[in-house]
Amino acid sequence: MSHTYAAPGRDDTAAGRVILMIISPLAAILVIAGLIYATGAAGRHAAAALAAGCEPALFISGLPCTTQQMLVSQYDGLVNPAARLLEADTAAYTASEGHNLIAAEAALTAEVATEQAFDTSLAAVTFTPQNRARALALITTAASNGTAVPIAAVTFTPQLTVIANAVIRADQALATLTAQQARAATLTRMRSYNRRVNLAATAVQTELTLLRKAIEAPLSDG
Amino acid sequence: MARSPVGRRTGGEFASYNYQPAPYGGPATYEPDLSPADAIGTRREVAKPADDHQPQQRADKSRVDEWMEVTFKFGGSRIKRKAVALILLGIPAVAPLFFMLPALVTLNNNTFSVSVDDTLGTGAELCLFLCLLVTPLVTLTGQRWFVGLRRWYGIMMACCGIGDATAAGITDTFAGGVFGRLAGHVFELVGFTMVLLVIPLLLTGNPWAQRKLGKYWKRLHWLTYVIWGLLAFHLMLLEGLGFQSGSNGSGFPGDGDPIFHQRFYQYSACSLFLLTLRLPPVKRWIAARQKEGRNWLVWVTIAPIFALFIFAFIFIINEEVFKGIDSFRETPSAE
Repeated sequence: MSHTYAAPGRDDTAAGRVILMIISPLAAILVIAGLIYATGAAGRHAAAALAAGCEPALFISGLPCTTQQMLVSQYDGLVNPAARLLEADTAAYTASEGHNLIAAEAALTAEVATEQAFDTSLAAVTFTPQNRARALALITTAASNGTAVPIAAVTFTPQLTVIANAVIRADQALATLTAQQARAATLTRMRSYNRRVNLAATAVQTELTLLRKAIEAPLSDG
Repeated sequence: MARSPVGRRTGGEFASYNYQPAPYGGPATYEPDLSPADAIGTRREVAKPADDHQPQQRADKSRVDEWMEVTFKFGGSRIKRKAVALILLGIPAVAPLFFMLPALVTLNNNTFSVSVDDTLGTGAELCLFLCLLVTPLVTLTGQRWFVGLRRWYGIMMACCGIGDATAAGITDTFAGGVFGRLAGHVFELVGFTMVLLVIPLLLTGNPWAQRKLGKYWKRLHWLTYVIWGLLAFHLMLLEGLGFQSGSNGSGFPGDGDPIFHQRFYQYSACSLFLLTLRLPPVKRWIAARQKEGRNWLVWVTIAPIFALFIFAFIFIINEEVFKGIDSFRETPSAE
């Protein structure tokens, strides 16, 4: 208890002074160290994200990150099944374009459906507020449950989204052209679309190659 | 239960640390700020101060209290400045509950399951620290107009804690039924114990209970300190005993800031200030310097500890706002 005034001349605040002489400089050192440490936060975060293979653009503090490998898996999961279906549809069209209008039309209609489904799937993983919110909910649920982040929670980065949108536009142009081809009244008229359809398909392939390259590009610390 | 005047120097009497009435006449002591022995000691201190050693700083601060008591006209009625200040300072304590409101209205199980612990748990921690901050600020400034906030922050702390436990008991994903979700892990058991302890504090945090319980009221409310201590264990166990090891810690791989995001470190940095300013030798030292009119020395000495408190507190607020807004938008983020 205090006897500051009860015992004149005797300093009973020495204990308090000693405590503060220890704690106050310690706190000052911690604050200064904290401030210095804080200046390197961005670099530390970038390095840690890079080391873990995280896509910096998709990283959210405190949540499991989206890795480059997850993006590649997402890309393959979308493109490969669609490519296989298109190959089958194209083969069916090639087999029937010379003699069977009904079968050729059916093959082209299936091709259009595949292309539109692919566009829809690709659009669902672009970096939009809605897609990010859905992905975030899946990531946080996985984090909360302690389970791995599902592939459905992967969205493209804003940069990849720009290329993905170009893919979608090119593919929509291809689908429109293929639909016109499917509506042709004769086989001759139908075959007359082949060159334009091939050019449109090549454009889609070029954009897809760009997207794949962008996904596989080495991660930057930005 | 003896009551003494509010901490203002009147006619040579000064009992700033004794049992305090709250603004508007209600008891403000949601937290037991000093033991009765401290209060007695303070009375001894004030028994013999020489007039030429009047604590000028305290007299100045009393003027702040006086200024706060002044009323002004607003919409046909008169309102105390203090009332406006208390409301403005008290409103943020509602934020954690407000953040969870949309999820409650829409019964969004996912939001509760994922982020209620971060939003309401962190909110409870913030309110506890704000509640505990009142006494050190009274010690430092000599002002008492904000003492009423202590009870308010305490009540909000209890509401956040109980809300957190209730939601966790219903929506959490741990096995073992309600009990498993509330106490299936040691850190949960500690958290649940804190919630159980806060219930009697909430129930008795009113003038009626204070009158009925008499001298036992203050002893009962020492449980606040038990909760404060248990919170250290809760946070320590929650995030890998203060060490990041893989995903066991404050962040997932890629976070890169396991120190700043460690809740236990934030807690420790905040608690250093709150604890130091409660140590009787430190309070005696501060009182002595203030009586000598060397309050500047007190501020210079305390400033680094207070800066550390603010430094850590900002990270906790950041966590609350970040997670709270996500909860409010029902796109919860977990850790």
